[in-house]
Amino acid sequence: MPDEIIKVSGLTKDYGNGRGIFGFDFSVKRGEVFGIVGTNGSGKTTTLRHLMGFLNPDSGSCGIMGLDCRKHAREIMQHVGYVPGEIDFPDVGTGTSFLKIQAEFMGLKDREYISRLVNLFKLDTDASLRRMSKGMKQKTALVAAFMSRPEVLLLDEPSTGLDPLMRDALIELILEEKARGTTVLMSTHIFKELDDTADRVLFIENGRQIDLADMHSMTETLPQRYRLGFKTQDDFDSFAAATAFRIARANPAHLHMDVEIPEQSVSGLFREIGNYDMRYMKYRPFTLEDRYTEMIEKGGKISA
Amino acid sequence: MLSFPLLKQSVKSNSVMWGSMTGVMTLLCIQFSTLDMTRSLLFQIFYGMMTTILPGIYVLVTANKLLASQVDRGSMAYVLSTPVKRSTVTVTQAFYLVNSLILMFGIQTGAHLLVNRANPVSLATFGYTMLSGDLTSKMILQVNLSALMVCIALAAVCFMFSGIFSSTKYSIGLSGTFIGVNILANMLAMFGRLGVSGLDKFKYLTIVSFYDYQSVLFKNSDWVQKLIFPAVIALAAFTVGQLVFRKKDLPL
Repeated sequence: MPDEIIKVSGLTKDYGNGRGIFGFDFSVKRGEVFGIVGTNGSGKTTTLRHLMGFLNPDSGSCGIMGLDCRKHAREIMQHVGYVPGEIDFPDVGTGTSFLKIQAEFMGLKDREYISRLVNLFKLDTDASLRRMSKGMKQKTALVAAFMSRPEVLLLDEPSTGLDPLMRDALIELILEEKARGTTVLMSTHIFKELDDTADRVLFIENGRQIDLADMHSMTETLPQRYRLGFKTQDDFDSFAAATAFRIARANPAHLHMDVEIPEQSVSGLFREIGNYDMRYMKYRPFTLEDRYTEMIEKGGKISA
Repeated sequence: MLSFPLLKQSVKSNSVMWGSMTGVMTLLCIQFSTLDMTRSLLFQIFYGMMTTILPGIYVLVTANKLLASQVDRGSMAYVLSTPVKRSTVTVTQAFYLVNSLILMFGIQTGAHLLVNRANPVSLATFGYTMLSGDLTSKMILQVNLSALMVCIALAAVCFMFSGIFSSTKYSIGLSGTFIGVNILANMLAMFGRLGVSGLDKFKYLTIVSFYDYQSVLFKNSDWVQKLIFPAVIALAAFTVGQLVFRKKDLPL
């Protein structure tokens, strides 16, 4: 069994008018949680559909566990759980009968884990699928994807429609699966989920890869950020003009700015702000969102 | 080649439509063959029109639901995210479609056989003055077999559109046009047979013409030969639908 569970090479699907995905290259190792982040229409769902074997690539290929996604979809599906981006269920009545039929499709005998998941998400499976709210549908889809305890999880915006508590439950569940050695590939635009779970995150924009962030090294090597709030416009302006540190972003309307402090030099910042009338100073951990916003502002340069 | 969970799912989600069409067809059959007022029209109206219109509506709606609508709405993702091949999906759905039609005709035919045994009708009642004797069980079976074969061909063409298109809009649109043209042309051709000159040419526009109950009543073998054409159409259409569905992009 290769250590690279998911391998995408040169994957291209051109829908015309610049839409689609172009030359995607990445791989996901066993037990890794891999995030894909991008704006709406950037190609997240298209990528996942290729991995599910639903789409034929124009060029390039993708594989799961060494098998081609398009040619060996059936074999691959024995090991994969999938949450689609758009949720609509077969016309089979209630959540219970849907999950029962899905379990039969997967050849699942053990229903114990299913009821654990149902309890975890506080899901009322007796409800009619048609009348379910968006969140209920999402939870049902999550149970269907996780219930066979697959080795690979492909999740397309899995937390859509979930309330904050359920979102946390989902994060817990993903971490639990990760601890078990499950490989997870998830797309999202909710950065918190990835901050909490992901090992690596791929940023995409307009169908192109623009950055691949390693979460472990990112948090260690990147400069720390402090947000400084000033009392007066004069102080705000003169600090901005005088400081030796890089200003990551400034907001004159609220008289605050984020400055980047290289490691070991936080006392330099304390010396500088001694001369100013401050409202507050707070530490802001560098998040994926910061990185994403910066990158988009820079115009999304393409990097490895 | 068949997926039983999928078959179960198809039975479940199409049971209402199947049940009501089977019910209506069976009741109409019993009514036309028992009530004195309608008996004489058993062939012209019931076997002439109802045995193609009712199953026609059923296959139009059901064929679309079996593939295209599930792709369009996205629910097919749940089937295909399990170890089920696309070809297994098409074979199972086609199997469901054909067998639900067989069962539909089976129930209606069974009812007609019972009613006809209790209260036989003479062929002269239908206006065929040159024919003698009663409507036999054999004739009922043969007429229904002929109708069933044509309905399977109609179903296969709808299934083909359902397999080709990922959008209900196109699948229903083309299937609907196809079923509509075939049934309308058949009705016009029937008026042609009843003496409206010129309309008889419409029989060349519809595959329902391969369903020939007159041949059965006249005890010649035309209807048997005519079974071959819808059978070939059905086989070709199922094959095309299946091949396209296996290869195409699915937006799931």
